[in-house]
Amino acid sequence: MPSSGIVFSADGKTAMLQMTDVPIIDQPRWPAMDAATTPAFMDFKLLFTATDEPVKYEDPAHQYRFEGFKASAQLEAAIRVASIDFTFKTDPLESSKSDFAVMGSEVNGKYYEAARS
Amino acid sequence: MKFRLTAKPTMLTPIDQVPCNGRSSVVEPNRRLLLKLGAASFLAPSLPGKLLHAQSGPQSCSPPIPPNHAPANGGSCPYPIPWLDKNGNHNQSPMPNVELSNIYHFTGKLARANGFHGTGTDNHGNRFAWGTPTTDYSYMAGEYWAGRQSRQGVFTHT
Repeated sequence: MPSSGIVFSADGKTAMLQMTDVPIIDQPRWPAMDAATTPAFMDFKLLFTATDEPVKYEDPAHQYRFEGFKASAQLEAAIRVASIDFTFKTDPLESSKSDFAVMGSEVNGKYYEAARS
Repeated sequence: MKFRLTAKPTMLTPIDQVPCNGRSSVVEPNRRLLLKLGAASFLAPSLPGKLLHAQSGPQSCSPPIPPNHAPANGGSCPYPIPWLDKNGNHNQSPMPNVELSNIYHFTGKLARANGFHGTGTDNHGNRFAWGTPTTDYSYMAGEYWAGRQSRQGVFTHT
């Protein structure tokens, strides 16, 4: 996505993603192997807000480390499936919630060892 | 360039109507609305965009064929997570103590969330609940290594 699609607050504790006309698919019979797909489009606005509770997930065997904070995440979206004349719009951002969210920083692969030293 | 990630449809459920036999017209919107809010828009970096309200677009990151016997260093596509890729997936559901990244050889900002739920309205005025435990969204913004060089990118998984 273009970097202009994401905006961080000055303190880094919130991040807002916003995109329009993202091409997606309508696939009612998923995960059937022969499930037909129909082109659709989506607009969305996604807000992450960090809490003060730190988290760290690391696995040296798999060469990854995530350090950050538990967070909340909220979503507002609109979907259009032109071929069946269907649209769906969620209620405003504030009305949604998520069960799990974290935000922070990650290093993995070739960057993993370098970030330790 | 668009990468397809683990397919996880978002189920929309009528709020004020109770399906009774799984085949009624009441249920049809459910099936139709297995519209994957994310059908996987993991979008490549460096696409031209406007400030917010950015639009996505196609971009190839496949390795170019070098002319004149020049070295082939690969393309700009990010590396998949090896142990997920071998099973045909590019990510896993976000939860504590798992690899949250969708890219191997990455350093930067990352956020992931799942279990989204809320309510909304279709173009016929029907009210629906949307979301499942696997409705997940994320962003990754930072440096990744591909084609033998460091690259900058911003990605989202919807």
